[in-house]
Amino acid sequence: MSVELISANHAAALAATLAGRANRSARGFCSGVYPITPSTECMEFLCGQEIEKGKVVRADSEHNAMGICIGASAAGARSFTTTCSNGLAYMVENCVAAAGYRLPIVMSVANRTLGPPWNIWADHGDSLLLRDLGWLQLYSADNQEVFDTVLCAFRLAEDPRILMPVLCCMDGFILSHTMAQVEIPTQEQIDRFLPPATIPQRLDKAAHTLGQMETPHQSVVHRSQHHQAMLGARQVYSEIQDSFTEIFGRRPADPLVSYRAEDAETLIVSMGTLGVTAERVVDQLRDQGQAVGSVRVRMFRPLPDTELRQLFGGKKRIAVLDRDISIGFGGALWGEVRNFADRDSIVQGYMIGVGGGDVRPEHLLNLLAELEQSEESAAPKIVEVA
Amino acid sequence: MAQKKTRSTPQSSTTKMVLPDDITFPLEIRLHGRGGQGGVTCAKLIAAIYAQLGLNVQTFGDYGAERSGAPVRAFARVDRAPIRNRNKVYQPDHLLVLDAALLAPPVLDGVGAKAAILLNSPEAAEKYAETFADFRFGIIDATGIARKHGIGTSSVVIINTTLVGAYLRLLELPLEVLEDVYTGMGLEDDLAAAKEAYQKVQVCQPSPRATQKTAKTTGGQLETCLPEVKPQTEHFEDIPSRLKTGSWSTQLPGYEDYVAPCNHACPAGNDVVGFIQALKTSGPDAAAEVLLHTQPLPSVCGRVCPAPCMHECNRNQMDGAVNIRSLERWIADHSDFRLQPEKAAKAFSLAVIGGGPAGLSAAWQLALRGHQVTIFEKESKLGGVLRYGIPVYRLPEEVLERDLKRILALGITSVCDHPVDKAEMARLHQDYDALILSKGFSDAYNLAAAGESLDGIEQGLDFLARSRKSESGENLVGDVVVIGGGNTAIDCARTALRSGASSVKLVYRRSRDEMPAIEEEIQDALREGVQLLALRQPVAFRGVGQVAGIVLAEVELGEPDADGRRRPLVTERTSEMNCSRVLLALGQQNTLDLLPDCWQIRKDRIWQKDQPLNIWLAGDCATADGTVTHAIGNGRLVAMEALAKLSGTESTPTTTPQGSVVAPAQVRFSHFPVLAPHQDRHRVLETYQNSFEEVNLGLSGQEEAERCFSCGRCTQCDTCLVYCPDGVISRSENGYQIDEDYCKGCGICVAECPRRAMDLRDKGLSDVR
Repeated sequence: MSVELISANHAAALAATLAGRANRSARGFCSGVYPITPSTECMEFLCGQEIEKGKVVRADSEHNAMGICIGASAAGARSFTTTCSNGLAYMVENCVAAAGYRLPIVMSVANRTLGPPWNIWADHGDSLLLRDLGWLQLYSADNQEVFDTVLCAFRLAEDPRILMPVLCCMDGFILSHTMAQVEIPTQEQIDRFLPPATIPQRLDKAAHTLGQMETPHQSVVHRSQHHQAMLGARQVYSEIQDSFTEIFGRRPADPLVSYRAEDAETLIVSMGTLGVTAERVVDQLRDQGQAVGSVRVRMFRPLPDTELRQLFGGKKRIAVLDRDISIGFGGALWGEVRNFADRDSIVQGYMIGVGGGDVRPEHLLNLLAELEQSEESAAPKIVEVA
Repeated sequence: MAQKKTRSTPQSSTTKMVLPDDITFPLEIRLHGRGGQGGVTCAKLIAAIYAQLGLNVQTFGDYGAERSGAPVRAFARVDRAPIRNRNKVYQPDHLLVLDAALLAPPVLDGVGAKAAILLNSPEAAEKYAETFADFRFGIIDATGIARKHGIGTSSVVIINTTLVGAYLRLLELPLEVLEDVYTGMGLEDDLAAAKEAYQKVQVCQPSPRATQKTAKTTGGQLETCLPEVKPQTEHFEDIPSRLKTGSWSTQLPGYEDYVAPCNHACPAGNDVVGFIQALKTSGPDAAAEVLLHTQPLPSVCGRVCPAPCMHECNRNQMDGAVNIRSLERWIADHSDFRLQPEKAAKAFSLAVIGGGPAGLSAAWQLALRGHQVTIFEKESKLGGVLRYGIPVYRLPEEVLERDLKRILALGITSVCDHPVDKAEMARLHQDYDALILSKGFSDAYNLAAAGESLDGIEQGLDFLARSRKSESGENLVGDVVVIGGGNTAIDCARTALRSGASSVKLVYRRSRDEMPAIEEEIQDALREGVQLLALRQPVAFRGVGQVAGIVLAEVELGEPDADGRRRPLVTERTSEMNCSRVLLALGQQNTLDLLPDCWQIRKDRIWQKDQPLNIWLAGDCATADGTVTHAIGNGRLVAMEALAKLSGTESTPTTTPQGSVVAPAQVRFSHFPVLAPHQDRHRVLETYQNSFEEVNLGLSGQEEAERCFSCGRCTQCDTCLVYCPDGVISRSENGYQIDEDYCKGCGICVAECPRRAMDLRDKGLSDVR
């Protein structure tokens, strides 16, 4: 184990590199990549690595980058790519295919606002495009978590009970371009954590097709299997956490990161780096005697519904922060979690930091002060942040 | 980059030391620099130093308009506890400014008492003593030190590793931590510069009054020091507010004229690009209007000019030079445009001695400006070498007359059959405000070979003059040998062929490649039957009374001499050849025998003892350049010089336009379709004997003008407008306008301009925010 001062983009790429090398005794590693700010540094780093039995292909588009990952994975290789924003939007058609083929591809997304108008800064709207496609989704809040999440993502994706692609999200620039100390395990440790990938449906000597035409009933069954497999990810992830802890000596973050939430009357719910800002605000308000807690949703797919319902129980007020807008509706996270609250809880949605605004504690203090005065839930609010 | 030695928690490999008392946590650091200075890496180096000390760190840049030179910020945060703060740094404890020009309110925002400020500047600390009296302040010439140590390139000096040395000293951190970090990051080479900065940084402590002020609050209580974001959705209809992206840029594109190589090469000073573009867009009259300002003899030069412009034409690097000479001829042959003379504030009376190209050019320029000009010509008609040195099949009489008529129409008086001798010079000097002496070359060179005085051997120029003066031309029989390689030699050879010679041989001592004659003329001569004997030097003539043969020695080429041409080395190997006439075309010498004895020439002006007289020399008798176009250019300059002196103003006009010349690499060839040059049409005769008709018929149309790149001059082709990614370029009355409020300075328009008519300029510091 060593500690390096690296950006989260590089942490993701380094995790993928180590994972790729860990598959050297099996079918190796193959990755299709195409650059887009702020994910570019991740693919650049990956292109610079020597990976035994590994190949990083610089594709001519995001769509083909995912196409290469699909081909590699279908041939039994471990596969990884990275993109964001409109690059991800262009990739979506093949992302649907990757999920439909149930291929264990891992993708790192440095979340960026979708254009036009053009904007390079953080917004979750891009990864949320994949919400309903059958990809697992994990959101990180610091560099170490990004590294750990990519490693865990390979275990999750390749687990025979799951077998589907995993999206690892980090806030563009806020994480992707921030350097901090990251603990890097040895290759030997990684080898133990990530055994050679086995992709049962892989195209091998016996000829067969993937994703062929099927009847309505077959589709229902396949969708149902995909759905059930994803729901099982929570249990599998918990096993992976144990294994990770045993090998690396620290425990990767839970699907829900709750902070001083048990006895809180007011709860702040968020994803990504907004969550750690929320925790700072919780500390401040706790110092002032207010019973405030935070829940950071790390695993957005599958959404930990039971745990959320349990955490939300008995809370008076719940502020849901979304770094996204589902236009014509409100925040996507708010839309999903509001039903887990007690009937008499006030659940207020805030769309904040949309387009990459620097959400500071004072912004949250202001909206919480306002929430404390409210008697009922209002329509989701857009908070403007520069 | 590997940082193997950095550790997040105090371990054996971290540097053990006690931190200075005044470093409190969380520690926040902000850097202000410019894109390309290495500010983001500088923040990372500082973070790495604190990591080396066993502290938790975080560092990041502020990304946006990522253009070289644009103001950029970078941040670092240090704490004993894990860092949860994901915001930018608004209240820095340490502020590093990498460029003193950035010192303005946004840079100093949120800097509280007890903050430490480090400035990269070669200036003395005293200059900022008052401004930063309340802070611990350090100043260091990191750019100078980094440059001295060769870090970065000479144009882009990377200062980050140097500046960190000064930072350590400002914070009273030990130098050894730097060694550990730089060694771990492979930056050992920059240590010396960092150490020098550590030694040299000037540190000023805060004045006592500053310590009285309340320190910035840290920890639990957060100050709301920032203005609230106004909810636009509630207050404005035109939302979101317009983002003036022009403020992101440090450079602005603009339309600039650069010098086309043709314009630069033209000895006459013609605006070649100007007249070709005028021809293209508005026709021959518009082109003539441009051309006639510098060129009184376009019909002549359009036929006989060696056209250095074509030699330099950037299109040579693509598909062949633009046929500029013939375009000039096209304009002259298709326009009767006349320039109107100006009215001079004070009209002078000037005499021009010699009616050749230099004298005509000087007279033209003077008359155009409203002065009285009289030309004195020793022959019976004006024209000089044009009339008596260039054969009519190249320059027909009526063509020359057309140009002369246009010149005289300005009101110039011509006095022909009027040779000027010493006495006459003195008289003219009395009668006129100024004289311009443009008598041309004098005697031609001889060969100095045995038998040169035999009959049948003469100067080619004499032969050409006789040929022009007699109605039917000179009759010639037998085998003619012409000696020389310039245009006169070619003219002699082709004229001899037309005058009845049974054979014409051209003897030249160097190789064909070195012949100074116009290439097209050499080709025409060969096509017409002239034989070229290159690398031959006549060493003797044979004959009794009349020349009957010539002895030629073989020549080898040696090392290049001063003018770059290879030196001819005459060998012992000789051969003899029969001939009945020999024409010498070896060039002319320059002697002035018509000046009164007490006059001297100094810098092309006549002086009497220490007094300059108002007499200037122009053309070949001054410069010996030997071409019509040089004579025209020099005639114009001398006329302007004389006028300036007469009117008491300073004037130093030059023939060649000043400024940067457009190189082939600056023209985007891919923008232009490949199109071979339009060639001149030629009259092909079975025999050229006794035919003095013009053989070159010029171009059949003016399409050749379309081939001009218009190097360095905007043609309003719309490429910039089409390529601008932000749509900030629009057409204006005289070209284009660029909306500076929104231009990000990306430079795409400049890169896409096919003809280098645009450039980027640095914005003034006041423009940069």
